[in-house]
Amino acid sequence: MEDKEIYEKVKEAIIEALGVESEEVEPNSVLFDDLGAESLDLLDIVFRLEKTFDIKIPRGGIQQDMLVAEGIKEEDVVVDGALTALGAEKLRERMSEVDKEKIHEGFRIDDIPTLFTVQTFVNIVKYQLENK
Amino acid sequence: MTVGTDITEVARIKKMVQTHPQFISTVFTEKEIAYCQGKRNKCQHFAARFAAKESVMKAVGRGWLQGIQWTDIETVTLPTGEPKIEAHGTLKKVMKEKGIRSFAVSLSHCKEYALATVIAMQE
Repeated sequence: MEDKEIYEKVKEAIIEALGVESEEVEPNSVLFDDLGAESLDLLDIVFRLEKTFDIKIPRGGIQQDMLVAEGIKEEDVVVDGALTALGAEKLRERMSEVDKEKIHEGFRIDDIPTLFTVQTFVNIVKYQLENK
Repeated sequence: MTVGTDITEVARIKKMVQTHPQFISTVFTEKEIAYCQGKRNKCQHFAARFAAKESVMKAVGRGWLQGIQWTDIETVTLPTGEPKIEAHGTLKKVMKEKGIRSFAVSLSHCKEYALATVIAMQE
């Protein structure tokens, strides 16, 4: 599937879930800050994307996928729910679509959804389609 | 002792239930589903239990990104009618790590909103 087609379908899912206007949604729109999403909306978007693309998006332990790779242990990247310097570096690499200044040592893992942009979901879908 | 609180829109839960058939089984346990389905205003009860799950995650300082599943947090109703949080799976592990013995929970709901407040009681 072409990137443009994935983006258009992700955009449509976000518009339907959040009830926002098409003009408001850009690849770098931040779901929470720019589009007014709440945590339940993320679940709504995930369900819509799973149906649209016939994929399964993992809901638990995402940080393991995002940070604990290449033989790195969880305690090297996350301590008491916050990113270590290495964890911040890994997350910046993994979420290259996000403003790098927002990801720093001490950033709470549970605040990661506040960073999600439209492009984040495009990347998640692309990853799941490639690894289906 | 740490505290977590959450407010959930009942209409939002109703929309999720109607739009996504898998929402209920993904988020709620069998006991929670049986309890809520038996109520006249089922979405108010689902919303209160959803708020309780969010509140527990806030009280423990961990959430679904760190492996806690929605169904790890279960609100059961005691014979007295009092709600109680039962922990399962990863939540149990997190409680042990943080020295959390149990949770105190209070739920409230009306047509529009459901509220939950949870206190994590440490040893």
